[in-house]
Amino acid sequence: MTGQTRKQFLFEKRRRPPCGNQKTFPYLNAALSFFYRFVGNNKEVKVFCFFCSKKKCLPSLALLLQLTPAAASDARLPDWSGTWVPNITDQNKRITTDPVPWTASAARQIAKMQAEEKAGHPRGLFVNCLPEGMPSWMLISHNALEILFSPGRVTLLGESDGNRLRRIYTDGRSHPPDPDPSFHGDSIGHWEGDTLVVDTIGVIPQSYVAISEAVGLPNNGDLHVIEKLHLAGPDTLHDDLQIIAPHVLSRPWNTTRIYYRQRARKYEIVEGVCLQGSFNGGTDKDGNAVFVPVPQEDGNPKPP
Amino acid sequence: MMQSAIRLFGKRNTVLAAALAAAAIYGGPGAAHHSFAMFDPAKLLTVTGTVKDFQWVNPHVVLWVYAAPKDGAAPELWTIELTSPGNLTRVGWTRHSVGPGDKVAVEIAPLRNGGHGGGFRKLTLIDSGKVLTSEFKDQERPGLQ
Repeated sequence: MTGQTRKQFLFEKRRRPPCGNQKTFPYLNAALSFFYRFVGNNKEVKVFCFFCSKKKCLPSLALLLQLTPAAASDARLPDWSGTWVPNITDQNKRITTDPVPWTASAARQIAKMQAEEKAGHPRGLFVNCLPEGMPSWMLISHNALEILFSPGRVTLLGESDGNRLRRIYTDGRSHPPDPDPSFHGDSIGHWEGDTLVVDTIGVIPQSYVAISEAVGLPNNGDLHVIEKLHLAGPDTLHDDLQIIAPHVLSRPWNTTRIYYRQRARKYEIVEGVCLQGSFNGGTDKDGNAVFVPVPQEDGNPKPP
Repeated sequence: MMQSAIRLFGKRNTVLAAALAAAAIYGGPGAAHHSFAMFDPAKLLTVTGTVKDFQWVNPHVVLWVYAAPKDGAAPELWTIELTSPGNLTRVGWTRHSVGPGDKVAVEIAPLRNGGHGGGFRKLTLIDSGKVLTSEFKDQERPGLQ
Protein backbone atom coordinates (compact mmCIF):
# COMPACT_ATOMS: atom_id res chain seq x y z
CA MET A 1 0.00 0.00 0.00
CA THR A 2 2.28 2.71 -1.27
CA GLY A 3 1.60 6.31 -0.42
CA GLN A 4 -1.69 5.51 1.24
CA THR A 5 -2.38 4.39 4.74
CA ARG A 6 -4.79 1.56 5.36
CA LYS A 7 -7.09 4.07 7.08
CA GLN A 8 -7.18 6.25 3.95
CA PHE A 9 -7.87 3.19 1.80
CA LEU A 10 -10.85 2.18 3.91
CA PHE A 11 -12.13 5.74 3.88
CA GLU A 12 -11.94 5.86 0.08
CA LYS A 13 -13.67 2.49 -0.17
CA ARG A 14 -16.51 3.71 2.01
CA ARG A 15 -16.86 6.77 -0.19
CA ARG A 16 -17.36 4.67 -3.28
CA PRO A 17 -20.87 3.24 -3.05
CA PRO A 18 -22.54 2.55 -6.40
CA CYS A 19 -24.77 5.54 -5.89
CA GLY A 20 -24.85 9.07 -4.61
CA ASN A 21 -25.61 12.20 -6.50
CA GLN A 22 -23.64 10.86 -9.45
CA LYS A 23 -26.39 8.36 -10.12
CA THR A 24 -29.29 10.37 -11.43
CA PHE A 25 -31.66 7.88 -13.09
CA PRO A 26 -31.73 9.52 -16.53
CA TYR A 27 -34.82 7.73 -17.89
CA LEU A 28 -36.88 8.33 -14.79
CA ASN A 29 -35.81 11.97 -14.68
CA ALA A 30 -36.58 12.47 -18.37
CA ALA A 31 -40.08 11.06 -17.88
CA LEU A 32 -40.65 13.28 -14.85
CA SER A 33 -39.35 16.33 -16.69
CA PHE A 34 -41.77 15.64 -19.51
CA PHE A 35 -44.62 15.30 -17.05
CA TYR A 36 -43.74 18.52 -15.25
CA ARG A 37 -43.41 20.39 -18.50
CA PHE A 38 -46.82 19.08 -19.46
CA VAL A 39 -48.39 20.41 -16.27
CA GLY A 40 -46.63 23.73 -16.75
CA ASN A 41 -44.18 23.48 -13.89
CA ASN A 42 -40.90 24.96 -15.01
CA LYS A 43 -38.87 23.55 -12.16
CA GLU A 44 -35.92 21.22 -12.41
CA VAL A 45 -36.91 17.74 -11.35
CA LYS A 46 -34.31 15.32 -10.16
CA VAL A 47 -34.53 11.94 -8.51
CA PHE A 48 -31.45 11.08 -6.54
CA CYS A 49 -30.38 7.89 -4.90
CA PHE A 50 -32.32 7.37 -1.73
CA PHE A 51 -31.12 4.10 -0.43
CA CYS A 52 -28.11 2.15 -1.40
CA SER A 53 -26.31 -0.98 -0.56
CA LYS A 54 -23.15 -2.31 -2.16
CA LYS A 55 -24.98 -3.53 -5.24
CA LYS A 56 -28.23 -1.66 -5.48
CA CYS A 57 -29.37 1.88 -5.59
CA LEU A 58 -33.04 2.64 -5.11
CA PRO A 59 -34.51 5.89 -6.38
CA SER A 60 -35.86 8.25 -3.85
CA LEU A 61 -39.57 8.25 -3.34
CA ALA A 62 -39.43 11.93 -2.61
CA LEU A 63 -38.88 14.19 -5.61
CA LEU A 64 -36.36 16.91 -5.12
CA LEU A 65 -37.90 20.00 -6.65
CA GLN A 66 -35.04 22.37 -7.03
CA LEU A 67 -36.04 25.99 -6.80
CA THR A 68 -33.40 27.10 -9.27
CA PRO A 69 -34.67 27.62 -12.83
CA ALA A 70 -34.09 24.88 -15.33
CA ALA A 71 -30.56 25.33 -16.53
CA ALA A 72 -29.85 22.59 -19.01
CA SER A 73 -33.35 21.97 -20.25
CA ASP A 74 -33.50 23.95 -23.48
CA ALA A 75 -36.31 21.75 -24.76
CA ARG A 76 -38.61 23.37 -22.23
CA LEU A 77 -37.91 26.92 -23.36
CA PRO A 78 -39.99 28.71 -25.98
CA ASP A 79 -38.65 29.06 -29.51
CA TRP A 80 -37.19 32.55 -29.88
CA SER A 81 -34.92 31.69 -32.79
CA GLY A 82 -34.66 33.85 -35.89
CA THR A 83 -33.93 37.53 -36.28
CA TRP A 84 -36.03 40.05 -34.35
CA VAL A 85 -36.61 43.34 -36.16
CA PRO A 86 -37.90 46.27 -34.08
CA ASN A 87 -41.19 48.00 -34.84
CA ILE A 88 -39.81 51.51 -35.33
CA THR A 89 -43.19 53.05 -36.12
CA ASP A 90 -44.40 51.88 -32.71
CA GLN A 91 -41.24 53.21 -30.99
CA ASN A 92 -42.00 56.63 -32.45
CA LYS A 93 -45.69 56.47 -31.64
CA ARG A 94 -44.94 55.75 -27.99
CA ILE A 95 -43.11 59.08 -27.64
CA THR A 96 -46.62 60.48 -27.28
CA THR A 97 -48.66 57.45 -26.14
CA ASP A 98 -46.21 56.28 -23.40
CA PRO A 99 -44.90 59.63 -22.17
CA VAL A 100 -41.80 59.39 -20.00
CA PRO A 101 -42.42 60.59 -16.41
CA TRP A 102 -39.37 62.86 -16.41
CA THR A 103 -38.56 64.84 -13.29
CA ALA A 104 -39.21 68.58 -13.67
CA SER A 105 -35.55 69.35 -14.29
CA ALA A 106 -35.19 66.48 -16.77
CA ALA A 107 -38.37 67.55 -18.58
CA ARG A 108 -36.92 71.03 -19.16
CA GLN A 109 -33.78 69.58 -20.73
CA ILE A 110 -35.82 67.16 -22.85
CA ALA A 111 -38.08 69.94 -24.13
CA LYS A 112 -34.99 71.86 -25.25
CA MET A 113 -33.64 68.82 -27.10
CA GLN A 114 -36.96 68.17 -28.80
CA ALA A 115 -37.12 71.77 -29.95
CA GLU A 116 -33.56 71.54 -31.31
CA GLU A 117 -34.36 68.32 -33.15
CA LYS A 118 -37.56 69.78 -34.58
CA ALA A 119 -35.63 72.83 -35.74
CA GLY A 120 -33.20 70.58 -37.59
CA HIS A 121 -30.27 70.83 -35.17
CA PRO A 122 -30.38 67.40 -33.52
CA ARG A 123 -27.80 66.72 -30.85
CA GLY A 124 -26.88 63.14 -31.68
CA LEU A 125 -26.57 61.15 -28.45
CA PHE A 126 -24.71 58.25 -30.00
CA VAL A 127 -22.51 59.83 -32.67
CA ASN A 128 -19.41 58.95 -30.64
CA CYS A 129 -20.15 55.28 -31.41
CA LEU A 130 -20.21 54.23 -27.77
CA PRO A 131 -22.88 51.54 -27.23
CA GLU A 132 -26.47 52.67 -26.80
CA GLY A 133 -26.43 50.54 -23.64
CA MET A 134 -29.32 49.88 -21.32
CA PRO A 135 -32.12 50.75 -21.57
CA SER A 136 -31.72 52.69 -24.84
CA TRP A 137 -30.80 49.65 -26.93
CA MET A 138 -34.18 48.16 -26.14
CA LEU A 139 -36.02 51.50 -26.44
CA ILE A 140 -34.82 53.15 -29.65
CA SER A 141 -32.70 50.78 -31.73
CA HIS A 142 -33.53 50.62 -35.41
CA ASN A 143 -31.40 47.51 -35.76
CA ALA A 144 -32.25 43.84 -35.46
CA LEU A 145 -31.28 41.51 -32.62
CA GLU A 146 -31.11 37.79 -31.98
CA ILE A 147 -31.64 35.81 -28.80
CA LEU A 148 -29.54 32.77 -27.97
CA PHE A 149 -30.34 30.21 -25.29
CA SER A 150 -27.61 28.19 -23.66
CA PRO A 151 -27.66 26.37 -20.33
CA GLY A 152 -28.10 28.94 -17.58
CA ARG A 153 -27.84 31.90 -19.95
CA VAL A 154 -29.84 33.94 -22.38
CA THR A 155 -27.76 36.14 -24.68
CA LEU A 156 -29.00 39.08 -26.74
CA LEU A 157 -26.82 39.99 -29.68
CA GLY A 158 -27.48 43.14 -31.66
CA GLU A 159 -26.28 44.77 -34.78
CA SER A 160 -24.59 48.07 -35.47
CA ASP A 161 -22.44 49.29 -32.65
CA GLY A 162 -19.97 46.45 -32.53
CA ASN A 163 -20.24 45.55 -28.87
CA ARG A 164 -23.97 45.22 -28.48
CA LEU A 165 -24.39 42.24 -26.24
CA ARG A 166 -26.45 41.42 -23.17
CA ARG A 167 -25.65 38.39 -21.01
CA ILE A 168 -28.67 37.42 -18.90
CA TYR A 169 -27.86 34.71 -16.36
CA THR A 170 -30.74 32.33 -15.72
CA ASP A 171 -28.83 29.90 -13.52
CA GLY A 172 -30.40 31.11 -10.30
CA ARG A 173 -27.59 33.40 -9.23
CA SER A 174 -28.21 36.76 -7.61
CA HIS A 175 -26.60 40.06 -8.56
CA PRO A 176 -23.09 40.59 -7.22
CA PRO A 177 -23.21 42.97 -4.25
CA ASP A 178 -21.26 45.68 -6.09
CA PRO A 179 -21.06 44.98 -9.83
CA ASP A 180 -18.60 46.92 -11.96
CA PRO A 181 -20.75 49.44 -13.83
CA SER A 182 -21.12 48.69 -17.55
CA PHE A 183 -23.18 49.84 -20.53
CA HIS A 184 -25.47 46.82 -20.33
CA GLY A 185 -25.32 46.27 -16.58
CA ASP A 186 -25.60 43.04 -14.63
CA SER A 187 -28.63 41.02 -15.71
CA ILE A 188 -30.20 38.03 -14.03
CA GLY A 189 -33.31 36.34 -15.33
CA HIS A 190 -35.77 33.59 -14.59
CA TRP A 191 -38.61 31.97 -16.46
CA GLU A 192 -42.22 32.41 -15.41
CA GLY A 193 -43.87 30.00 -17.79
CA ASP A 194 -42.81 31.19 -21.24
CA THR A 195 -41.96 34.70 -20.03
CA LEU A 196 -38.35 35.65 -19.34
CA VAL A 197 -38.19 38.08 -16.42
CA VAL A 198 -34.95 40.05 -16.42
CA ASP A 199 -33.59 42.25 -13.67
CA THR A 200 -30.77 44.63 -14.57
CA ILE A 201 -28.63 46.83 -12.30
CA GLY A 202 -25.04 48.05 -12.45
CA VAL A 203 -25.47 50.29 -15.50
CA ILE A 204 -23.07 53.21 -15.88
CA PRO A 205 -24.63 56.60 -15.03
CA GLN A 206 -23.74 57.96 -18.49
CA SER A 207 -25.97 55.40 -20.25
CA TYR A 208 -28.95 57.22 -21.72
CA VAL A 209 -32.67 56.87 -21.13
CA ALA A 210 -33.43 57.89 -24.71
CA ILE A 211 -36.60 58.24 -26.75
CA SER A 212 -34.82 59.00 -30.02
CA GLU A 213 -31.26 59.30 -31.30
CA ALA A 214 -31.25 62.96 -30.33
CA VAL A 215 -33.55 63.11 -27.29
CA GLY A 216 -32.65 61.50 -23.98
CA LEU A 217 -30.74 61.99 -20.75
CA PRO A 218 -28.06 60.02 -18.93
CA ASN A 219 -29.69 57.90 -16.22
CA ASN A 220 -27.28 59.55 -13.74
CA GLY A 221 -27.02 56.46 -11.53
CA ASP A 222 -29.05 53.87 -9.62
CA LEU A 223 -30.75 52.64 -12.79
CA HIS A 224 -32.86 49.50 -12.35
CA VAL A 225 -34.63 47.86 -15.28
CA ILE A 226 -37.14 45.03 -14.97
CA GLU A 227 -38.23 43.40 -18.21
CA LYS A 228 -40.74 40.75 -19.17
CA LEU A 229 -39.93 39.29 -22.56
CA HIS A 230 -42.62 37.08 -24.06
CA LEU A 231 -44.21 36.09 -27.34
CA ALA A 232 -47.37 38.09 -28.00
CA GLY A 233 -48.02 36.08 -31.17
CA PRO A 234 -46.25 33.26 -33.00
CA ASP A 235 -43.70 35.71 -34.48
CA THR A 236 -44.14 38.81 -32.32
CA LEU A 237 -41.98 39.43 -29.25
CA HIS A 238 -42.85 41.99 -26.61
CA ASP A 239 -40.42 43.47 -24.12
CA ASP A 240 -42.46 44.96 -21.30
CA LEU A 241 -40.05 47.26 -19.51
CA GLN A 242 -40.19 48.96 -16.17
CA ILE A 243 -37.46 51.57 -15.95
CA ILE A 244 -36.55 52.92 -12.54
CA ALA A 245 -34.18 55.86 -12.83
CA PRO A 246 -34.66 57.96 -9.68
CA HIS A 247 -32.37 60.79 -10.81
CA VAL A 248 -34.27 61.56 -14.03
CA LEU A 249 -37.69 59.92 -13.67
CA SER A 250 -40.29 60.97 -11.11
CA ARG A 251 -41.68 57.42 -10.95
CA PRO A 252 -41.03 54.06 -12.65
CA TRP A 253 -41.76 54.21 -16.36
CA ASN A 254 -43.61 51.28 -17.90
CA THR A 255 -43.41 50.84 -21.63
CA THR A 256 -43.31 48.09 -24.25
CA ARG A 257 -41.19 47.48 -27.31
CA ILE A 258 -42.24 45.19 -30.15
CA TYR A 259 -40.10 42.98 -32.39
CA TYR A 260 -41.10 40.89 -35.39
CA ARG A 261 -39.48 37.56 -36.22
CA GLN A 262 -37.88 37.03 -39.62
CA ARG A 263 -36.44 33.72 -40.69
CA ALA A 264 -35.39 34.45 -44.27
CA ARG A 265 -31.62 34.30 -44.63
CA LYS A 266 -31.24 37.92 -45.69
CA TYR A 267 -32.51 38.94 -42.24
CA GLU A 268 -29.66 37.27 -40.39
CA ILE A 269 -27.64 39.57 -38.16
CA VAL A 270 -24.54 40.96 -39.83
CA GLU A 271 -21.42 42.43 -38.27
CA GLY A 272 -21.76 46.10 -37.46
CA VAL A 273 -18.79 48.11 -36.27
CA CYS A 274 -19.96 51.65 -35.63
CA LEU A 275 -16.53 53.28 -35.90
CA GLN A 276 -15.97 51.73 -39.33
CA GLY A 277 -18.10 54.52 -40.77
CA SER A 278 -15.45 57.01 -39.69
CA PHE A 279 -13.00 55.45 -42.13
CA ASN A 280 -12.79 54.53 -45.77
CA GLY A 281 -10.71 51.81 -47.33
CA GLY A 282 -7.41 53.03 -48.76
CA THR A 283 -3.87 51.93 -49.63
CA ASP A 284 -0.67 52.99 -47.90
CA LYS A 285 2.66 53.64 -49.65
CA ASP A 286 3.61 49.96 -49.39
CA GLY A 287 0.38 48.81 -51.01
CA ASN A 288 -1.28 47.62 -47.79
CA ALA A 289 -5.04 47.90 -47.39
CA VAL A 290 -5.55 50.42 -44.60
CA PHE A 291 -8.25 52.61 -43.09
CA VAL A 292 -8.21 56.28 -43.99
CA PRO A 293 -10.21 58.62 -41.73
CA VAL A 294 -13.27 60.27 -43.28
CA PRO A 295 -13.77 63.84 -41.99
CA GLN A 296 -16.88 63.87 -39.80
CA GLU A 297 -19.18 66.54 -38.47
CA ASP A 298 -21.84 65.69 -35.88
CA GLY A 299 -21.67 62.04 -36.90
CA ASN A 300 -22.07 62.74 -40.61
CA PRO A 301 -19.33 62.41 -43.18
CA LYS A 302 -18.45 66.03 -43.79
CA PRO A 303 -19.37 67.13 -47.29
CA PRO A 304 -16.38 68.65 -49.07
CA MET B 1 -21.60 62.91 -70.82
CA MET B 2 -22.33 64.20 -67.40
CA GLN B 3 -25.86 65.52 -67.65
CA SER B 4 -25.81 66.57 -64.07
CA ALA B 5 -28.45 68.69 -62.48
CA ILE B 6 -29.75 69.35 -59.03
CA ARG B 7 -33.44 70.00 -59.24
CA LEU B 8 -35.58 71.31 -56.45
CA PHE B 9 -39.06 69.90 -56.34
CA GLY B 10 -41.48 72.27 -58.05
CA LYS B 11 -44.37 74.03 -56.34
CA ARG B 12 -46.86 71.47 -57.55
CA ASN B 13 -45.10 68.93 -55.40
CA THR B 14 -45.32 71.00 -52.24
CA VAL B 15 -48.24 68.96 -50.90
CA LEU B 16 -46.38 65.72 -51.55
CA ALA B 17 -43.26 67.10 -49.91
CA ALA B 18 -45.24 68.23 -46.86
CA ALA B 19 -46.81 64.79 -46.55
CA LEU B 20 -43.39 63.13 -46.79
CA ALA B 21 -42.05 65.57 -44.23
CA ALA B 22 -44.80 64.68 -41.79
CA ALA B 23 -44.07 60.99 -42.28
CA ALA B 24 -40.35 61.47 -41.81
CA ILE B 25 -40.16 63.70 -38.74
CA TYR B 26 -38.73 60.88 -36.66
CA GLY B 27 -38.29 58.27 -39.35
CA GLY B 28 -35.40 58.97 -41.64
CA PRO B 29 -34.08 55.96 -43.45
CA GLY B 30 -34.07 53.92 -40.26
CA ALA B 31 -30.65 53.76 -38.76
CA ALA B 32 -29.63 53.92 -35.15
CA HIS B 33 -26.71 56.24 -34.82
CA HIS B 34 -27.76 59.82 -35.27
CA SER B 35 -31.03 61.58 -35.84
CA PHE B 36 -31.89 62.37 -39.43
CA ALA B 37 -33.40 65.68 -38.36
CA MET B 38 -30.42 67.58 -39.77
CA PHE B 39 -31.84 66.67 -43.17
CA ASP B 40 -34.82 68.62 -44.43
CA PRO B 41 -37.55 66.34 -45.80
CA ALA B 42 -39.57 69.39 -46.87
CA LYS B 43 -37.01 70.33 -49.51
CA LEU B 44 -36.39 67.14 -51.42
CA LEU B 45 -33.62 67.37 -53.99
CA THR B 46 -32.63 65.09 -56.79
CA VAL B 47 -28.87 64.84 -57.17
CA THR B 48 -28.01 63.56 -60.64
CA GLY B 49 -24.46 62.58 -61.43
CA THR B 50 -21.79 59.91 -61.30
CA VAL B 51 -20.99 57.73 -58.31
CA LYS B 52 -17.53 58.24 -56.85
CA ASP B 53 -17.83 55.62 -54.13
CA PHE B 54 -20.39 53.46 -52.35
CA GLN B 55 -19.15 52.99 -48.79
CA TRP B 56 -20.89 49.87 -47.47
CA VAL B 57 -20.24 50.30 -43.73
CA ASN B 58 -21.94 50.74 -40.39
CA PRO B 59 -23.54 52.66 -38.94
CA HIS B 60 -24.56 54.40 -42.20
CA VAL B 61 -23.86 53.37 -45.75
CA VAL B 62 -22.62 56.41 -47.66
CA LEU B 63 -23.03 57.13 -51.36
CA TRP B 64 -20.57 59.69 -52.76
CA VAL B 65 -21.81 61.31 -55.96
CA TYR B 66 -20.23 63.91 -58.28
CA ALA B 67 -22.96 66.24 -59.50
CA ALA B 68 -22.69 69.58 -61.29
CA PRO B 69 -24.92 72.38 -59.98
CA LYS B 70 -25.87 73.16 -63.59
CA ASP B 71 -25.00 71.87 -67.04
CA GLY B 72 -21.43 72.65 -67.94
CA ALA B 73 -20.39 73.57 -64.41
CA ALA B 74 -17.67 71.74 -62.52
CA PRO B 75 -19.06 68.72 -60.64
CA GLU B 76 -19.24 68.91 -56.85
CA LEU B 77 -19.06 66.00 -54.44
CA TRP B 78 -22.19 65.06 -52.46
CA THR B 79 -22.32 62.69 -49.47
CA ILE B 80 -25.60 60.86 -49.14
CA GLU B 81 -26.32 58.80 -46.04
CA LEU B 82 -28.38 55.64 -46.03
CA THR B 83 -29.28 53.18 -43.27
CA SER B 84 -26.99 50.29 -42.19
CA PRO B 85 -25.74 47.45 -44.43
CA GLY B 86 -27.89 44.99 -42.42
CA ASN B 87 -31.07 47.01 -42.93
CA LEU B 88 -30.32 47.58 -46.62
CA THR B 89 -29.65 43.87 -47.18
CA ARG B 90 -33.10 43.12 -45.79
CA VAL B 91 -34.78 45.32 -48.39
CA GLY B 92 -32.81 43.78 -51.25
CA TRP B 93 -29.62 45.81 -51.54
CA THR B 94 -26.10 44.39 -51.79
CA ARG B 95 -22.73 46.14 -51.63
CA HIS B 96 -22.75 45.87 -55.43
CA SER B 97 -26.16 47.54 -55.92
CA VAL B 98 -24.38 50.68 -57.07
CA GLY B 99 -20.72 51.40 -57.65
CA PRO B 100 -18.12 53.87 -58.89
CA GLY B 101 -18.88 55.25 -62.37
CA ASP B 102 -22.62 54.48 -62.25
CA LYS B 103 -24.88 57.28 -63.50
CA VAL B 104 -27.50 57.90 -60.84
CA ALA B 105 -30.35 60.16 -59.86
CA VAL B 106 -30.66 60.21 -56.07
CA GLU B 107 -33.56 61.80 -54.29
CA ILE B 108 -32.40 63.19 -50.94
CA ALA B 109 -33.55 65.27 -48.02
CA PRO B 110 -30.71 67.80 -48.07
CA LEU B 111 -28.68 69.02 -45.09
CA ARG B 112 -30.42 72.02 -43.57
CA ASN B 113 -27.10 73.85 -43.22
CA GLY B 114 -26.72 74.01 -46.98
CA GLY B 115 -23.82 71.52 -47.13
CA HIS B 116 -23.53 69.09 -50.00
CA GLY B 117 -25.05 66.20 -48.15
CA GLY B 118 -28.38 64.59 -47.50
CA GLY B 119 -30.46 61.74 -46.20
CA PHE B 120 -31.28 59.08 -48.77
CA ARG B 121 -34.82 58.69 -50.15
CA LYS B 122 -34.62 56.95 -53.52
CA LEU B 123 -32.01 55.91 -56.08
CA THR B 124 -32.53 55.52 -59.82
CA LEU B 125 -29.79 53.83 -61.83
CA ILE B 126 -30.02 55.84 -65.04
CA ASP B 127 -28.70 53.19 -67.43
CA SER B 128 -31.02 50.40 -66.30
CA GLY B 129 -33.88 52.46 -64.90
CA LYS B 130 -33.78 50.33 -61.73
CA VAL B 131 -35.15 52.06 -58.63
CA LEU B 132 -33.97 51.30 -55.08
CA THR B 133 -35.49 52.52 -51.81
CA SER B 134 -35.02 51.66 -48.11
CA GLU B 135 -38.31 52.05 -46.31
CA PHE B 136 -38.20 50.43 -42.86
CA LYS B 137 -41.98 50.44 -42.51
CA ASP B 138 -42.14 47.70 -45.14
CA GLN B 139 -40.36 45.41 -42.66
CA GLU B 140 -42.75 45.84 -39.78
CA ARG B 141 -44.49 42.50 -40.01
CA PRO B 142 -43.22 38.99 -39.38
CA GLY B 143 -42.37 36.19 -41.79
CA LEU B 144 -41.08 38.24 -44.74
CA GLN B 145 -39.22 36.54 -47.58
